[in-house]
Amino acid sequence: MNIHLKVLLLEIRNFLLGNTVLTGAISLLLIGLYSFYHGHHVISRQQQTIASVPAVQKNHLQQIVEHGTGKAAGTTAYYPFFYTTNPASPWAEFSVGQRDVNPFTLKVKMLAIEGQLYDSELTNPLTLLVGNLDASFVFVFLFPLLIIAFTYNALSEEQENGVWKMVRTTAKSIHAAIAGKLLVRLITILGIALLVFAAAVAALRLPVSLPTFKLLSAVMFYVLFWFMVAMMVIALGKSSAFNATALVCIWIFLAILFPGAANILVNNSIPVPEAAETAIRQREGYHAKWDEPIKPTMEKFYAVYPQYRKYPVPDDKYSPGWYYAMQFSGDLESAHSSEKLFDKLMQRQRLSERIGGFNPVIAAQQSLNKIANTDLTSHIRYLQSVKAHHRQIREYFYPFIFEDTPTESIDWAGYPAYEPVRYTDEPVRSGLLAILCWTAGSLVIALILFKRNFIQIKDIQNA
Amino acid sequence: MHFNFITIIARQEWASIFRSKIPLSLFTVLLFVSLLATFTGWQYVSKFNHQQKTAHHQVHDQWMNQPDRHPHRVAHYGYMVFREKSPLSFFDFGLDSYVGNAVFLEAHRQNTVNMSEAGFSNGMLRFGELSMAMVLQLLVPLFIIFIGFQTVAGLKQNGVLKIMLCQRASFLDILIGKTAGITGVVWILFLPLLLLCLIAGNLLIAGGINADALLRIMLLTILYALYFLIITMLVVTVSAMSKSSKNALMALVLIWMLFFIVIPKSAQTLGSSLHTAPDKIAFEQAIEADVSKQGDSHDPDDPHFLQLKAATLKKYGVDSIAALPVNYGALVMQEGETISSGIFNKHFDNLIGIYKSQNAVSSIHGFVDPYLAIRNLSMNLSGTDFDSFTAFQKQTEKYRFEKTKKLNEIHLTQIKYQNDSKQKVSAENWQKQPDFTFRPVPVSENLSAAGLSLAALLLWVAAGIGALTYVSSKRAYQL
Repeated sequence: MNIHLKVLLLEIRNFLLGNTVLTGAISLLLIGLYSFYHGHHVISRQQQTIASVPAVQKNHLQQIVEHGTGKAAGTTAYYPFFYTTNPASPWAEFSVGQRDVNPFTLKVKMLAIEGQLYDSELTNPLTLLVGNLDASFVFVFLFPLLIIAFTYNALSEEQENGVWKMVRTTAKSIHAAIAGKLLVRLITILGIALLVFAAAVAALRLPVSLPTFKLLSAVMFYVLFWFMVAMMVIALGKSSAFNATALVCIWIFLAILFPGAANILVNNSIPVPEAAETAIRQREGYHAKWDEPIKPTMEKFYAVYPQYRKYPVPDDKYSPGWYYAMQFSGDLESAHSSEKLFDKLMQRQRLSERIGGFNPVIAAQQSLNKIANTDLTSHIRYLQSVKAHHRQIREYFYPFIFEDTPTESIDWAGYPAYEPVRYTDEPVRSGLLAILCWTAGSLVIALILFKRNFIQIKDIQNA
Repeated sequence: MHFNFITIIARQEWASIFRSKIPLSLFTVLLFVSLLATFTGWQYVSKFNHQQKTAHHQVHDQWMNQPDRHPHRVAHYGYMVFREKSPLSFFDFGLDSYVGNAVFLEAHRQNTVNMSEAGFSNGMLRFGELSMAMVLQLLVPLFIIFIGFQTVAGLKQNGVLKIMLCQRASFLDILIGKTAGITGVVWILFLPLLLLCLIAGNLLIAGGINADALLRIMLLTILYALYFLIITMLVVTVSAMSKSSKNALMALVLIWMLFFIVIPKSAQTLGSSLHTAPDKIAFEQAIEADVSKQGDSHDPDDPHFLQLKAATLKKYGVDSIAALPVNYGALVMQEGETISSGIFNKHFDNLIGIYKSQNAVSSIHGFVDPYLAIRNLSMNLSGTDFDSFTAFQKQTEKYRFEKTKKLNEIHLTQIKYQNDSKQKVSAENWQKQPDFTFRPVPVSENLSAAGLSLAALLLWVAAGIGALTYVSSKRAYQL
């Protein structure tokens, strides 16, 4: 039998039968299973709430109409809430992202919108702080640790217990011996990654479609990256303890310190005082109108909705038309800072993505969230759809308000139905490319180091 | 026990750590990260508080400069409160980034505290925030592991342990000496730094240090000292139980991952699955149902309000609402406010209770994971914990209720029932109202809220001493 094959088979046996592989693989799989349960739990609870919304909405409107019978539309229109929902994509269970932080249902009245957009969901802040143990966490955070555990002593252990010298003298080519060892580990790691991913697809019922394959490629590239990093460190030819220490330090740097510092950088370079400003302006913009003459407020309203000019609005006393025109001007006056806020949030997103280019851990997490539509951009899309819906509702009810239609003769449920935001297939090319570049770079460095520290070395003395 | 042996071993350990290069280079990195975290934390908190103060002044000025208005208009105009960060929040961010920062207080409605930093973040936040507390809680234990993993295991490997044991030193003396030496190093490297950063940051943010802040700083320092001692005892124990330094390192790194990643996450997710909290829609629906059960002020035939009407008419001895000397509309409004506020508070307390039981699952896990214990204590003492935020919510709701009540009183007495909406009252009426000031949770309450964590931390110290004694009594570990 070919000696190369023999060495390889021996290595496979040695490695696979060792405790590390079994313990590592089993514990990761168990945590993986828990993470599927957790992701599913979080998202399905949200979906349940979302499913309850149509019934809640129907009852609510019924009550409003009952109470309002006999009154004019303008009086009743103050009360109803209109619910909107942001259903989760099928991949959200894999990567919960920011879905637990941001509200997934929002209800709006026909009043000024800006004060209503930032209502938060009721959540336990400590749960948010601790974060989700979802499948993406297993891959992004825990998988690197498994890779470290599998590789840190690949060569050093044999050097430390003296086997390496024998390998060097017996193996025809030192290349093949090293390559064999690494290949066995790489294949095992990729195999476990595939297994966990397949389990995720089955457990979370991910559809077999493009986004799932995108998730898979992001995960695989990321796993490759960490394997190359591990190779780079073991190629230094230091002791097992050094390798383990160095790899854990790299992990802490990339997964904790770097993102922590980047977060400070993002918050400091793009602060969002506009959030409070928008709320203050809208409130003042609307309330000040009560103490101002009616006509200018109406003119502002007519500038956008000239079709209502024909309805008489008394200029010395309260009228529903004037009331909704005041609400509308609250929004008009805060529109600028609201736009600025959305703009700033997009700037934050772009800056973070640029930073992600320097750190594959960030790039991987961002790509997964993006594929799952659970990132900030997806939430902004939702907020914008809520704004659009708010306009549709206002425009549906304005004619009744201006015509003083009695409450009971309006179809209160006849407003244009809310269209939830569809799944957006955002490109993750740049994120994946960043991970690949870092992978390739680490590979090249690892090869150079191997050559220097393992291949060319001559046993000049008994080291 | 031989004190002179212990001292000699401790001195020796101390000297050997300072002699080698790796501990000092690691310390340099940690020092740099700590200073960076403190600096950016201080900058961020003072910038943030400045921003919140500006917003507060703007809202307060607008409130004071309102023209004469109808009191109910003022009640709807409402007030906005902006949450400021506590003086020690630069040290431990705690929950600060995940809780809301602004709340709109108006009549009839209890709004959520909105605009958390997490809501405006794209997820980078979720990797964990860089604060000095994070360095002390997560990275210093790793530092202790790296400087301590071979402390006993190394002696076994090179045979020195046997020689030492022959010289009348007991194994316990050696373990205590090692623990003392490493703890001494960690304390001298990190406690003065901690104390300095806490005092400096507090001075810069609050402009001075009062007794309360000083007490918190002292407690934090003592608790972190205990935490470092616990980790050191753990490291020495594992090192003493391991055959080789390599095994000790592997075991310790594994423990680190369990303590800092796996257990905290699983404990909290376990807590939220054990105690299911209602979502916002269910919460609001339940309140609405209770309110309409008790009395709906919008319903003219509501029995509760019919009774109120009869009682009021009887009290003033008149037979119609119009003949009342007070404004009946305001009376109804205040009654509705009292009912809805009471019901809201009941449901809110219930919700907070559920969250607390979720968090208690994590606190109980402090008995198996000392990181959870120090995390809770550190947040509590820094004023960035769950109770501080709950206190903010409750105080703002109380302020909202009282403000609305006063406006309803003005409405009741100064606005006539006839032609109600056409009347106005002088702005002086609400200019006299006090502004909102947040009363922080006192240290004693903070500590009692974290009682479980405090107990866990103290038990860990005892368990550490117990473990050292147990390990030292086993012959198998001496070989």
